[in-house]
Amino acid sequence: MKNRQPLHSEHSPKLIWDLPSRVFHWLLVACFITAWITHESDRFLYHHVFAGYLFFGLLIFRFVWGFIGSHYARFRSFAHDWKSVTEYLKALLDGSASRYIGHNPAGSWAIFMMLALGILIAISGMLVLGGEEGHGPLKGLISFDVGSFAKEAHETLAALMLLVVFVHVGGVIVESIYHKENLIWSMIVGHKPAPDDTHHVHLYPLLGVILLGIALTSAIVYFRGYVTQTADAPFLAFKHEPLVMNDTWQSECSECHLAFHPSLLPAKSWQSLFAQQNEHFGDDLALDEDTVNALLQYALDNSSEKGATEPAHKITRSVGNGPYPIRITAVEYWKHKHHEIADSMWRSSKVKSKANCAACHLDAKQGWFEDSNMRLPKLEEKVGNK
Amino acid sequence: MRMATSMTFGLIFLFGAASSYATVVDDQLKAYQAQGAGSFSAQRGEQMWNKDYPDPEEPGKVRNCHVCHGKDFKASGKHAKTGKTIDPLSPSVNRERFTDPQFIEKWFKRNCKWVMDRECTPQEKGDFLMYLKDK
Repeated sequence: MKNRQPLHSEHSPKLIWDLPSRVFHWLLVACFITAWITHESDRFLYHHVFAGYLFFGLLIFRFVWGFIGSHYARFRSFAHDWKSVTEYLKALLDGSASRYIGHNPAGSWAIFMMLALGILIAISGMLVLGGEEGHGPLKGLISFDVGSFAKEAHETLAALMLLVVFVHVGGVIVESIYHKENLIWSMIVGHKPAPDDTHHVHLYPLLGVILLGIALTSAIVYFRGYVTQTADAPFLAFKHEPLVMNDTWQSECSECHLAFHPSLLPAKSWQSLFAQQNEHFGDDLALDEDTVNALLQYALDNSSEKGATEPAHKITRSVGNGPYPIRITAVEYWKHKHHEIADSMWRSSKVKSKANCAACHLDAKQGWFEDSNMRLPKLEEKVGNK
Repeated sequence: MRMATSMTFGLIFLFGAASSYATVVDDQLKAYQAQGAGSFSAQRGEQMWNKDYPDPEEPGKVRNCHVCHGKDFKASGKHAKTGKTIDPLSPSVNRERFTDPQFIEKWFKRNCKWVMDRECTPQEKGDFLMYLKDK
């Protein structure tokens, strides 16, 4: 049994983890951390999604590598049965646990769990992306409701994954102390002290570098918009399918304010808004009947119920069976999404009004309101004499 | 028949687009007189431009043209509520000003009702255009 070896100080360091496995390991760590810290705020959805794609790609690579990689990278080398896990844990408690050159039985189970959870997380993530956000490979194939359901699964699976990650890291620390060796360092440099008859491991340096190169290149391609953007043409992270536009709507509405896309209110709201066009938030719109009818028709054909965007779905859901507000800012969903915005932000010269969506939503004109296309403006500091 | 109609409309449209704001303003003035207005006075128009009217919603406050258009009609204004930029009123600075009769009437109705709490009379509209047309 070459896997199981007592640690002898006279053992010289030997290559155990090939380069592709180590690159995989640390990139996967980076992806998981990135995805975890970007999941709370919708503004970082674009970054979260990149971490997810890379995560998925890495896992696919790892599954292939588990069959064709070097000895200790192969699944076969750490496919321990449950009995050896319990034996190993018992031995750990009474101080007689033997040292494994590759993964120990308990660790290997954590690894298989993380691989399986990782795949499920990636798939459920793409279901959310396709269903709720209308992006990614499953765009158009998944309904909004399936996407919403997948979101619950995605979050639960990720929490489970975090739990197993803690078990894994805890196990690594315990084992490192137990056998007086630095396992984290081994995963960085690839070497472990091992007897001379240990399996020979190829470094596969080229494949490791290629793997790292693909990850870096895709990051550069994915995020290049942030580098090439200008103040006049800010980078729109997510580009939605163009919504149905209407020239009359654009010209009439934008005489006074942003031409809010009709997908931002339900049909009944638009009906009452145009029924009181002579008292439009304190103004008489003084529009002739033909114009009103044309505007109303466009609004009804493209109201929130048509579900052109994610906010459209959520606004419809939030308004439910009424009352039907004529102000977008009176919709509960709107209030909920904006409750953290400070008063000073609303009052600042760059925003001024809650109707000024475009102050923060770079794609407000297009009517998309993609999470990642939102940026709070930098408030100018108060100028004072020192 | 249909083609003839659309061609006629096309020609009217072309002619309309090509005509300067002066023609449009003259036509509007004639129309106001046809509605019963007398001769127009730029001086009365200027008085309207500078006059304050009580705010019907907030007692003690006033409304006037400057709230949105600013005091200088050669400069851009700002919508009182939404903050949207309003192009200058002056036709010498803003070439699109007073080139569309429908637009003129729509905005007279909107703004007179907001500032004065009533619609403007043809006389008032004519005076106002007399004042602004050469600015």
